[in-house]
Amino acid sequence: MNLNVTTADWYAVAPLAIVAGTGLLVLLADLFARTHVNRYAAIVLAALGIAVAMADCAAAYGHDYAAFGGAFIVGGFGVVFQEIVLIAALGSVVLYGAIGNPDRVGGAIALMLWSASGAMLMSGAGSLMTIFLGIELLSLALYCLCGLADRPTARESAFKYLILSSVASGFMLYGMALLFGASGSVALTDLTNPALATNPLLWIGAGLFLVGISFKLSLVPFHAWSPDVYEGAPLPVTAFMSVATKAGTLAIFARFIYAALPSGVAERLLLPVWIVAAISMIAGNVGMLAQHDLKRLLAYSGIAQVGYILAALAGGTALGMRYAIFYLAAYTFMNLGAFAVAALLSDDGEQGSRLANYRGLAQKSPLAAAMMTFFLLALAGLPPTAGFLGKILILSTSVTTGYAWLGFALIAGTAISLYAYAKVIRAMYERNEHAHTHEAHPFVPLAWASAIVCVVIVIALTFYPLTPSNVLPLVR
Amino acid sequence: MLVLSLILVPIVAGLALLATRGENPAMSRTVGALVAAYTLVVGVAGHGSEWSYRWLSRPFVASFHVGDTAISYWLVLLLAICTFCAVLATNVPRTRQFVAQLLLLEGAMLGLFLARDLLLFALFWDLMLLPVFFVLLGWGEHVATAWRYFIYNFAGGLLLLLATAAFGVLFGSTDVIGRADVHIAGAWVPWIFWGFALAFLVKTPVWPLHTWMPLTYSDTPSPMVAVVSAVQSKGGLYGMIAIVMAFMPNEFKAYAGIFIVLGVISLLYGAFTALVQNDAKRVVAYSSLSHLGLIVVALASFNATALQGAVIYMVAHGLFSAALFLILGYVESREETRSLVRLGGLGTANPRLAGALCIAALAALGLPGLAGFVGELVILTGIFQAGLIWAAILALIPIVLASAYMLRLFQGIMNGPEVPDLPVRRDLSWREGLALVPLVLALVVLGVNPHPLTTFDPGAYNAVASTLQGGTR
Repeated sequence: MNLNVTTADWYAVAPLAIVAGTGLLVLLADLFARTHVNRYAAIVLAALGIAVAMADCAAAYGHDYAAFGGAFIVGGFGVVFQEIVLIAALGSVVLYGAIGNPDRVGGAIALMLWSASGAMLMSGAGSLMTIFLGIELLSLALYCLCGLADRPTARESAFKYLILSSVASGFMLYGMALLFGASGSVALTDLTNPALATNPLLWIGAGLFLVGISFKLSLVPFHAWSPDVYEGAPLPVTAFMSVATKAGTLAIFARFIYAALPSGVAERLLLPVWIVAAISMIAGNVGMLAQHDLKRLLAYSGIAQVGYILAALAGGTALGMRYAIFYLAAYTFMNLGAFAVAALLSDDGEQGSRLANYRGLAQKSPLAAAMMTFFLLALAGLPPTAGFLGKILILSTSVTTGYAWLGFALIAGTAISLYAYAKVIRAMYERNEHAHTHEAHPFVPLAWASAIVCVVIVIALTFYPLTPSNVLPLVR
Repeated sequence: MLVLSLILVPIVAGLALLATRGENPAMSRTVGALVAAYTLVVGVAGHGSEWSYRWLSRPFVASFHVGDTAISYWLVLLLAICTFCAVLATNVPRTRQFVAQLLLLEGAMLGLFLARDLLLFALFWDLMLLPVFFVLLGWGEHVATAWRYFIYNFAGGLLLLLATAAFGVLFGSTDVIGRADVHIAGAWVPWIFWGFALAFLVKTPVWPLHTWMPLTYSDTPSPMVAVVSAVQSKGGLYGMIAIVMAFMPNEFKAYAGIFIVLGVISLLYGAFTALVQNDAKRVVAYSSLSHLGLIVVALASFNATALQGAVIYMVAHGLFSAALFLILGYVESREETRSLVRLGGLGTANPRLAGALCIAALAALGLPGLAGFVGELVILTGIFQAGLIWAAILALIPIVLASAYMLRLFQGIMNGPEVPDLPVRRDLSWREGLALVPLVLALVVLGVNPHPLTTFDPGAYNAVASTLQGGTR
């Protein structure tokens, strides 16, 4: 294959290069800045780099272009997912202003930026090779990040993630090999060939590929790793993982099912995925009920929330794609906001992740308690939040496309989830004079700002539902 | 914009009260009363005006469309009056936060009654659960009550949400409340119907979906429960009229028998249970179940007279149940108990309190000259006209029983031996008295002249009216 690389191809990957390059700059700054400023130097540098990448990325919106012979595709779809990844990176990086060992913050932020560039690569991936490259780039950095705390659970988290994620990658790689065997090409475009519809290699390959995807999305029954990994990882890493991994993987999944399957295959091939999504909605929310740790709670919540997003994609309609993206964006801000509040309460470690520390919080720090309540209610889908509107939009899609049973699963899951979220709220508003509540950190400006921005955006998205048009994934 | 301020002012004022620091009960009450008075004035002044802003164009049209309808106008005024009285009567610890929750509740419920869009209706439906939930958590006696309230009503809210989405997809728009040209058809309609109906029946409540209600009513501090019982329960009934009856009359007609049976069971069950309750607030809670059961029967009888009676009785029940709960709150703050076994003898030292309870109890048992009587009479006439003679006869039993349990309540509190070991108790203060004046006044005025309540414009409820033209069943 003769690959003609033009300047436009390099421009297409410029946002990734900016993010990855910023990672190097952060490392350099960490080397030269003095100890007490290096934390903020790293954060400011990273935020600047992310802002530039966001602007550069946004400029490509609406200009569909297949770079590197279709291996990396920019345009509406990729841009939206890349922006979500960048928002996740920004929202997680600022949390390092509140927590983390100052010696390691620079390195952690650099790794996070590289991981983000992997997720951005996934968002635009147009061939099996770039998909795998993106996933590995994302995951390798995350393995290190998970282990970057002194607690033994962090090492357990990193090791567990490494082993299980590698197994899933193995499944996926094998599936890709079979897909390659079927079509004779790594380009997703070539999978749409109608002649492949009856090829068993395609069916088996796509099945294995989807198993790998389900693992990365932590759908039930491939979910067991996520609560453990989330619990052990440092708070900003969990925040990043809970959004960026899901966004990147959803981008791959959506592109695969919308644009890379021969016609007529999707409905039968994907039915197990929708069943798994419905089970995830129920099981994820049931799993939340027994948790005593915010990160584990949000891990289970994330399992269910991904189920909701998949319900929007089930019909394979253009509107469904828009609503899935809307809900993903809403979920991004709700989750980042919840983690920002948790960071506010963790001045020297992980106090914000233990739910016992939320008991009686409303007396100590009413604003923090109010914001956490807001984010939890938003995740539960109560008004006036984007979670409410997102659920309405998903419900209407599933009713329209004939997947009403997914709508019922969503309703049932939401009812269960409400109890779990409200349990935390109740603990926060409990009036107990003798409670061992951790004093809220007096002033952590970045985390406060992040939480407040998230509140504003989650409310604003309700009243001004920004669902991007022109986001159908293209393969050519 | 004026009508929009009706929703925003209480919510903003409530949030502002929550955000301030320091405890000044008189100040908080003044702010709350002023806001409630504002909503009353604007509720009257803004009658008939609308405000609309496009929310969604896809997958169905939805708007922030607010403006009262002919029936919700009365509920808006009822809510404003009840909130005003409840704020004045507030005498609980942490007054500022409590008044703030009352105002948030008022704002959310004003949104519910003013919503002309189903999606907006569903939004405020969920929103109005939160202040009550937080009050139950912060001031309630048992945490389990807060759960039960929240889970029951939120489950109803989810059904409402699903039904709204399905309605929107089917009809293409949810901007429909108060419109006469809305007809939906298809295999989905019965499902949509039951989604709405179950949500409304839980909220009203109706047997057997009522089990959250007695607990909530007895555990919530009196000023809040006065608003919840007087107005929030009407949210369900209003939904039955403005949504279920208006848009799905055929389904409602097809299943009317179920509603009549449930309504009659609620009537009887509520009345008999109220007769033996020991907790004074539960007597009123179960009497509410009984009274609202009558309204459900009235709606399901598909008769114009019964519908008019239902509207009168909704307002009347709001007035007297708010008054009863406020008075029981006064009693509890003086006697430190709600048990009818322990209570007694309050009347001799507190003639004004006894007089107030007497008027409220008489209104509740349907004394002619007070609004409750008119509502019951018109409803019974309507049910009889509709040919539901057995239901009308059964509905008479609880009306007789109402005299029994209301007198039992009055005697248990005011007559007999006094509660031992209590300091001298003051009679009604001017503030507590003032909180009852608007309610009693309205009960008397509407009892003598209920005409304004019955002249709602059939144009706004054309769908209902055209269904009713079918006449008796």
